[in-house]
Amino acid sequence: MNATTKPIIEFRGVSKTYKTGTHALKDVNIRINPGEFVFVVGASGAGKSTFMKLIVREEKANTGSLIVNGFDLMKIRNRSIPHLRRTMGIVFQDFRLIPTMSVFENVAFAMHVIGADRRKIRKDVSAVLSMVGLGNKARSMPNQLSGGEQQRVGLARALVNKPSLIIADEPTGNVDPNLSYDIVAKLTEINKQGTTVLMVTHDHNLVRDFQHRVIMLEEGRIVADNAAGGGNI
Amino acid sequence: MKLRSVSYLSKEGVKNLWANRLMTVASVGVLMACMVLIGLAVLISMNVNKAVGNLEQQNVIMAYFNDKNSVLYGDASEEFNSSQDASSTTSSSADSTDTTISEDDYLIHNEEEALALCDKLSKIDNVLSVEYVPSEEGLESIKEGLLEGKEEYFEFLDKDHGNPLSDAAKITLKDMSKFKETLQAIKDTEGVDSVQSQSDLADKINALKDGIGIAGVWIIAILLIISLVIVSNTIRVTMYSRKLEISIMKAVGATNSFIRLPFVIEGVTIGIISAATSTAILYFCYRVAMEAIGDALGIINIIAFKEVALLIVGIFLAIGVLSGIVGSVIMISKYLKKEGSEFTAI
Ligand SMILES: Nc1ncnc2c1ncn2[C@@H]1O[C@H](COP(=O)(O)OP(=O)(O)OP(=O)(O)O)[C@@H](O)[C@H]1O
Ligand SMILES: [Mg+2]
Repeated sequence: MNATTKPIIEFRGVSKTYKTGTHALKDVNIRINPGEFVFVVGASGAGKSTFMKLIVREEKANTGSLIVNGFDLMKIRNRSIPHLRRTMGIVFQDFRLIPTMSVFENVAFAMHVIGADRRKIRKDVSAVLSMVGLGNKARSMPNQLSGGEQQRVGLARALVNKPSLIIADEPTGNVDPNLSYDIVAKLTEINKQGTTVLMVTHDHNLVRDFQHRVIMLEEGRIVADNAAGGGNI
Repeated sequence: MKLRSVSYLSKEGVKNLWANRLMTVASVGVLMACMVLIGLAVLISMNVNKAVGNLEQQNVIMAYFNDKNSVLYGDASEEFNSSQDASSTTSSSADSTDTTISEDDYLIHNEEEALALCDKLSKIDNVLSVEYVPSEEGLESIKEGLLEGKEEYFEFLDKDHGNPLSDAAKITLKDMSKFKETLQAIKDTEGVDSVQSQSDLADKINALKDGIGIAGVWIIAILLIISLVIVSNTIRVTMYSRKLEISIMKAVGATNSFIRLPFVIEGVTIGIISAATSTAILYFCYRVAMEAIGDALGIINIIAFKEVALLIVGIFLAIGVLSGIVGSVIMISKYLKKEGSEFTAI
């Protein structure tokens, strides 16, 4: 790994303790470089979601330093958080599609609410829908789609504003195993075009079949960090 | 914020209204009731103020001048009652060269001086009008006013027997609340012998005005708070029903003002709809009431709705728009503070 590359995500001595007293993350140190694809794995309650929530600044770390996409998340003002989020695309485990909006409108929504103009919206939404293989489903409503298709809409929405980082916490958790493959293949394709991808998963088959870097959490600590291809740290 | 986003988000706000139409109708209903009540309070107080204004103008102060008659009869009114020597007084009144009264004993000797005094009185602060009432005229009006049909009892008060009234000025005031001060100033004016007034009427008018003013302010304040609570509550319900949308907006990096806008639009629209319907309702209520009152009392002149329509619409729009904006801003800020960051777990 090139030591001079500026990491897109850098944790240094980060700890997170919830108000309830749970120590969800303990002294986490990690660097993720632009263009990497990283699986985050670990047992339930290991702190994977907490790790992701710190990156999207849903939660704030208690100690340490955390830099994401050039934003210092220990010092960021509330007013700047939307700008941080515009640099990333978030994929939800439960899809989060608005049931009253068509596939097209669901994806367009992500552009409308950050003030994109209509022509650009039409162009970009169509492009991203064909990229995820849903070009012919633009007018469908979410309840007319399979789980895998719904998640591809979610993926399209996360991608449409061209983020440099994709954050996906168990994106295949509610999808059939064979369709999960589809999703990760799509993510891998996007990653090949330069987007950094961070994905939490419980699915060992996916981790084995897609040769990406794997970070393993256990009781809030990083216990393994295997570079793509299975090599050790 | 760009115009196209405003138009998109406005549409979202109107969609909210439709999606929660039951809530919308309920809150428009309550807001409308508040507005109609506020409108009635305003109309009633305006009408009462106008009526009171008419009364005020009738509440005159009579200032009697220090002239010859005042010296002859003024202070001696008790003596006059007790004295049986009526003939001596009447005869002396007719006699201008009476030996017991010299010209130095009184200040107003002729009409010129009386008019000068009137002029002086009209310059007192808060005096609206001064009308000179010569003693003969005063006597006439007493005869007419009080003694209609019994003029013969007062025949002894004719020219030959003399007129016990002094020259006087009929004074009206601008502001009844300064009644006491003004009365004192009139009393203290050189040349004024005594004043006559209905100070209890002035007090009653002032108390009525104050009472209506205070009650009006309270009614409006309470109704405003109710309107605000109603609108906030509606917005809160919409907000929770739109949790999903809000979480996505947060996730893709919408700013708080973007997230807020559809809700503000929703609140303001509720306000405007309520203002429009309230104006119509108030107009019909007022017309019906006016006809009823007009039929019952005939002469009372009520303020026409036309005269106050602009004011009423202005008040309603102000209430509607303000409670829409304030209600939604308060609610969404509260929401964003409490749940705003929890977009990955709803
Ligand atoms: N908002 C919260 N308040 C308090 N404790 C929390 C909160 N979120 C998570 N925790 C606790 O922090 C620890 C780590 O939780 P986290 O959600 O990060 O685990 P996870 O690895 O994502 O688990 P899973 O695989 O089940 O999703 C757990 O013990 C959990 O109970
Ligand atoms: Mg989790």
